Amino acid sequence: MFKGSGRAVLAFIVSVLLGTCALRAQSGGAPDLPAGAMQATARTACMECHESRIILQQRLSKAAWTKEVDKMIKWGAVVDPKDRDALIDYLSTNLSVDKAAEAASRVGK
Amino acid sequence: MNSRRDFLKNVGLGMVGASLVRPALSWAAEANSQAVPGKEGMILRSFRFLDLEAPPEFLNTWLTPVPHFFVRNHMFEPSSLEAGEWRLSVGGEVEKPMSLSLGELSKLESHTVTNTLECAGNGRAFHKPQLPGVQWEKGAVGNARFTGPRLADILKRAGVKETGKHVMFRGLDEVPGKVPPFVRSIPIEKAMDSDTLVATHMNGAPLNKHHGFPARALVPGWIGAASCKWLTEIKVLEKEFEGNFMKPGYRLSNQPVAPGGSVNPDDTHPVTALNVKSVIATPNDGATVRGRVVQIHGVAWAGEADIVKVDVSTDAGASWRPAELGKEQARYAWRTWSHAWKPPRAGEYTVMARATDSQGRVQPDIAAWNPSGYLYNAIDKVKIHVQG
Repeated sequence: MFKGSGRAVLAFIVSVLLGTCALRAQSGGAPDLPAGAMQATARTACMECHESRIILQQRLSKAAWTKEVDKMIKWGAVVDPKDRDALIDYLSTNLSVDKAAEAASRVGK
Repeated sequence: MNSRRDFLKNVGLGMVGASLVRPALSWAAEANSQAVPGKEGMILRSFRFLDLEAPPEFLNTWLTPVPHFFVRNHMFEPSSLEAGEWRLSVGGEVEKPMSLSLGELSKLESHTVTNTLECAGNGRAFHKPQLPGVQWEKGAVGNARFTGPRLADILKRAGVKETGKHVMFRGLDEVPGKVPPFVRSIPIEKAMDSDTLVATHMNGAPLNKHHGFPARALVPGWIGAASCKWLTEIKVLEKEFEGNFMKPGYRLSNQPVAPGGSVNPDDTHPVTALNVKSVIATPNDGATVRGRVVQIHGVAWAGEADIVKVDVSTDAGASWRPAELGKEQARYAWRTWSHAWKPPRAGEYTVMARATDSQGRVQPDIAAWNPSGYLYNAIDKVKIHVQG
């Protein structure tokens, strides 16, 4: 049983690592979303359709983030209704109007 | 190599809704870094969807080379598109609906229009208060020679009925989730204009995939969103197309809007022609320059109007001198401009550029704010340090 659990844990770690690699491959080395309780929720809800850069370059008020999140839910983002408010708080705290602008990268060779 | 399905399988860990699974994206899977072949040096606003901006120093030529031409995608580029299988259907309010192959399209008389294409949201990052959307600065704009048959010739073959008042374009963008498709329309008068094309070539070469291969609409002088890429359907309608990217998207208020204010969606009109605007290509903002003469370069455009003059200030707007306009010109194309300036002494300077067009429009000190950040066109400025 212990061995079986160990394999399951290992399989989980491998799958997470693979997932991270695949995520980076799909997103052209895009930076991760800010750390926080809603980071994982935001990854799955938002980054299914687009990468993190498009989120990280926004500097919006809570009212504006609320409109964006609700629009994206309407457009197919999978957000558990109980997570909606926390997701809006996470985005409007980490990507608020008073934060310095995100530096954009250049297309490399 | 990871396919998109592998990606979903790995990342999703069962949490991603099955309804959102889409076909594999071969180009995205190949790109395992920030490389975008043929687009080196562009500012990467987003890789997925691909949104690339030209840095200011690329906005310095009469024709923008395709590698330096901005890319704006609302959704995924077509994952596979075979020229031999591609068809362009023409239907709706027409006498003879038809479907054209690329070969048939290429047999139609071809025309070339040199056009400055600018994303409606170019400059959005400079609006205050800040607005949601791609945070374009100066470079979601480029000037190229577009070639292909006139849209009017295609519509005349199909025979537009009296009831046909608008022309809808549908592209082959791949739509994620429940996002509304990128479908828009233009009025029949603009569609029948002799300069409105179904373009197959850009700067003399077939369109590449980022710019709409094998064919795109080219609606000269208008916002980039009017010029639908990967065109596959033209439909003549009795009225303006009703969809997200016509309303509430790409509209401006009929009333003045205070910065941060709201708009009544029923008191709006579609964004069509571009504003009068100039940008400084070089020197870059923050640059240190040397020498007795500083060459200031840039481009200026005005949508359906002509650039009449560009004035340059080197003292933060206290005084202005005319820039020299480049020789090349075409109806819908930008003008290059330059100004040789002799700095009186070493120090910090604010250099500004202000365009005026044939409709009497002048670049304003502050651009008109609107909730989507469209048509930003404030006087451009860079701060530079002149070394002694």
